[in-house]
Amino acid sequence: MHIDWFVLACQIFNFLLLVYLLKRFLFGRIIKAIDEREEKIATRFAEAEDMKVKATEAAELYEKRNQMLSETKEQMLNEATIAADAKRKELMEKVREEVDQVKTRWQDMLVREKDAFFSDLRQRAARQLYATARKALRDLADADLEERIVDEFLRRVKDLDEEKSVQIRKAISGGGNNVIIQSAFAISDQRRAQIEATLKKQITSDFKIKYLQQEEIVSGIELRVNGHKIAWSLNEYLETLVESMTETLQKEAHAA
Amino acid sequence: MEIVLIDQISPDQVILWTWGFITIPVTLLYTWLVMGILVVGSWLITRNLSSDINVPRWQHVLEVVVSVIRGEIRQMTKKGADKYVPLIGTLFLFIFLSNILVVVPGYVAPTASIATTAALALCVFVAVPLYGISQNGILHYLKEYFQPNFIFFPFHVMGEISRTVALTVRLFGNIMSHEKVVGILLAVTPLLFPLVMQALGLLIGTIQAYIFAILSMVYIAAATTTEESHKHSETHKEEVREGIAA
Repeated sequence: MHIDWFVLACQIFNFLLLVYLLKRFLFGRIIKAIDEREEKIATRFAEAEDMKVKATEAAELYEKRNQMLSETKEQMLNEATIAADAKRKELMEKVREEVDQVKTRWQDMLVREKDAFFSDLRQRAARQLYATARKALRDLADADLEERIVDEFLRRVKDLDEEKSVQIRKAISGGGNNVIIQSAFAISDQRRAQIEATLKKQITSDFKIKYLQQEEIVSGIELRVNGHKIAWSLNEYLETLVESMTETLQKEAHAA
Repeated sequence: MEIVLIDQISPDQVILWTWGFITIPVTLLYTWLVMGILVVGSWLITRNLSSDINVPRWQHVLEVVVSVIRGEIRQMTKKGADKYVPLIGTLFLFIFLSNILVVVPGYVAPTASIATTAALALCVFVAVPLYGISQNGILHYLKEYFQPNFIFFPFHVMGEISRTVALTVRLFGNIMSHEKVVGILLAVTPLLFPLVMQALGLLIGTIQAYIFAILSMVYIAAATTTEESHKHSETHKEEVREGIAA
């Protein structure tokens, strides 16, 4: 078999040249590119893994924080509820106290109004009774009621026991020998002389009488001397009447 | 019918230019053509290589080719595959391109010339001991020739020579004979049959390129394998040889 040795040598050279050129332009570059890419991918995977781990850690951390927050929230809510309850109770207590105070004030006011009403009623009733009694006495006995009152007053002065007389005498001397006689009506001079005579006879002769006319006494007469008094008025009777009226009114109110 | 001598059926006989002992046959022209295509193509594609995720289409093609070659070499050597890639890869790409360009009318494969295949086989013949010595040292490499004892030395030498001759003749014989068969068939049955034979020729050309490259790698691997992995690689090599023989 014929072999052209020149061609053989050329082909060996050609092949070695080709190996060199392909190593330089093909294999070297391609292998480098592949390796670089693989390295890059490996790096990216490692980074991704790292980020994944970090993300997992972060997620766990946030979950923990969330849990803590929700626990804290619940705790705060509980505390707030308890505080609100306490506050509500306190406010309720306060309101109750205020209501009680208002109630008490209102009851006091009611009592005062009631008292005022009854006082007024008593005065009106007394006046009415006084007017009625005076008219009745005048009509029946043809005698002035005021005269009767003075008579009753004089009778009481006369009926004073010894002890009372002594007390009043001492009171007169202790009070600067002043005696005040108050009445709801004007007392005639004749009656004044009579009163003076009775007092002088029964108690002492050393005094000065001062007469005062007071509407509040309604129908009566009273002797005032340094903390002691001798009196007669319709008030005593009227008080009994008012009490029974009060009782009746209260019963009516309760029944209503 | 004219009888053509075996000496005259090589493309080396088609002389383009001659000056003294320097003759430029068509073989060299087509060799340079193949080399030009490979080098210029590689240069054009690898000018702007990207090592990013987005890769140009042609770079993908080259990466697939190189990865396959690398993978084949790795299967045999286990480690340090990259240093064999230029030699084995160039062998495969050169023979492959030379063989499949026969579809171009007027083209004659350089591998149909025994001078070309002998040149390639001689390169492998030299490369094997070079790689073996660089890997394991000259003593270890020479010791392999006296295994299992000194009587086997001549057989080893004969084996080296005969496998180089086998490489040469296998490739030359396949490609040359195929071209002749296609030529004869064209004369006899000019219609569809030569087309089928051309397709078969592409397959044969690809397989021959693969066989040449793989056998070269097997020889290199046998010379560079260490004692520990000797048995393993021997088994593998036997499997490869049996596969090729089949």
